[in-house]
Amino acid sequence: MSPSKDLGSFLAHAVVLEDEAATRYRELADAMAVHNNPDVEALFCKMAEYSDMHRAEAIEHAEQHAGGLPDLKPWEFEWPGDESPESGRLESTHYLMTPFHALQLALEAEEGAFAFYNEIATRTNDPPIRKLAEEFAAEEKQHVEALKKWIAQYPEPPENWDDDLDPPVPVD
Amino acid sequence: MNSAVEKQIRILGHKDFKSDYKPVWCAGCGDFGVLNALTKAMAALELEPENVAMIAGIGCSSRIPAYTTVYGFHGVHGRALPLAAGLAVSRPELTVIATGGDGDGFSIGGNHFLHACRRNVNMTYLVMDNSVYGMTKGQASPTTECDWTGSKLSPQGTHQPPLQPLELALAARAPFIARAFSNSPNELARIMTEAIEFEGFAFVQILSPCITFRPEQLGWKKRVHEGFEPTDDRAAAFAALSDDDGFTTGILYRAPRPAFRPDQRDRVDIETIEKHFEVRS
Repeated sequence: MSPSKDLGSFLAHAVVLEDEAATRYRELADAMAVHNNPDVEALFCKMAEYSDMHRAEAIEHAEQHAGGLPDLKPWEFEWPGDESPESGRLESTHYLMTPFHALQLALEAEEGAFAFYNEIATRTNDPPIRKLAEEFAAEEKQHVEALKKWIAQYPEPPENWDDDLDPPVPVD
Repeated sequence: MNSAVEKQIRILGHKDFKSDYKPVWCAGCGDFGVLNALTKAMAALELEPENVAMIAGIGCSSRIPAYTTVYGFHGVHGRALPLAAGLAVSRPELTVIATGGDGDGFSIGGNHFLHACRRNVNMTYLVMDNSVYGMTKGQASPTTECDWTGSKLSPQGTHQPPLQPLELALAARAPFIARAFSNSPNELARIMTEAIEFEGFAFVQILSPCITFRPEQLGWKKRVHEGFEPTDDRAAAFAALSDDDGFTTGILYRAPRPAFRPDQRDRVDIETIEKHFEVRS
C-alpha cells in the first residue's frame, strides 16, 4: 500500500519512520555507553528524545485520521532504501566517533527523511497526502538546518581521530 | 502499548521484545540489525515473550538472547542445537529459536548442525555469519575465505575452501533453507517470520558484518543481492547454489516434511526422574 496513494498508509509510514529513528538512536547511544564514549552517548540520547517528540506528533496526526491505519508488516513499508530513511546508518558508527561524526550521521538521517516526504509531496495526486507531506518535509528541512548550525559549533576532528593506543588487534 | 495507533501498527510492539541490557557488541556490528529484525519478526507474528525460548551457544552473536525479553539459555560452545531440540520436543507449544555464529554453528557445533538438519525438529536456527571468530579477537572460521591473511594464526591464509552452509544444509536434508543480510532488517524480518512459522527445522544464514576484525565486510552492502526463488525441488536448489556467489539472498528451499515429534505418552514425570538421583548413605 503506497504512502503516496493512501492516507492511512502515509500516516503509518510517518509514525514508523520516527519510531525507528528513535530506536536506532537508542541503539547507538547504548553502544557508545558500552564503549565509554559519554559525550556521543548523550548526543544520541538527545536525538532519540527529539525523535520521540516527532513520533508523538505523527501519532497525533494519525489519531485524527478516521479511516484507521493499515497493519503493515516490516517488509510491506515502501521505503526508498533497506530501512526507514531517518534511521541512522549503523555502519557509519565507530566506538571512538566524536560529536561531529554523530551529528553528521544525524544530518544524513534527517536529509533522508526530508527527501522521503518531499518525494511523496511531488508524486502524490491525493491533496490531503500532499498537504501533510509538504508539512512534514518542511519540518524535516528545519531539522536539517538546525543540525547544520549545530555541526558548525564543533570543530572538524583531526585525521587521526580513530587512533586507539590499545586497539582490538588479534592477540594470537 | 497506549494509543489506538500503537495497537493498529503491530510492529510498534517490537520494543516489548527488547530487554534493558545494553548490547556489548562493537558499534556498527551487523548483529544489531539481526536483533532489530528478530524483535520486529516476533512483533509481526504477535508472539508472547513468555512462549518463546531462545537458545544460544558461545560467541558475540550468541549473546543475543540476553538482549530480548524472551526466555533464553546460553549453553556451551556449539551445543545450541541439541539443547534447543530437547526443549522443542519436550515443550512443543513453545516457539524455539536457536542462535549463534559461524564458528559456534559450523565448526564446534558442525556435527550437531548436520544432524539437526536431518532430524527436523520444529525450531528455527539463525546463524549470524561474519566469517571470523570475533569474541576471541579475529581468527579464521569455517566460512572464512581461503586467502584471508588477517590472523597471525593463518598468516598465509587458511588454504581451505570455505564451508558453504546452504549446500551443507541442503545435503543434510534441512527442509527450510534461506540466506539474508543484517543490513536489510525488514527483509530479514520477513525471512525470519517465514522460518519461525515453518513447521520443522528452518535454517537461516545471516550475513552479519564484523566491523572490527573484518572491516572490509562493510562492502557486503554492495555485493548482496536478491535472487533465490523458493523451491521444493532439491535438484533446482542445488542448481541455484551452483551459480551462487555467496551473496544471493532469499528463501532457497522450502519442502515441508513431518517434523520429528517423539511420542509423549511415555513421558516420565519429574518425581520419577528425581528418584534416580537420590543420595543414599
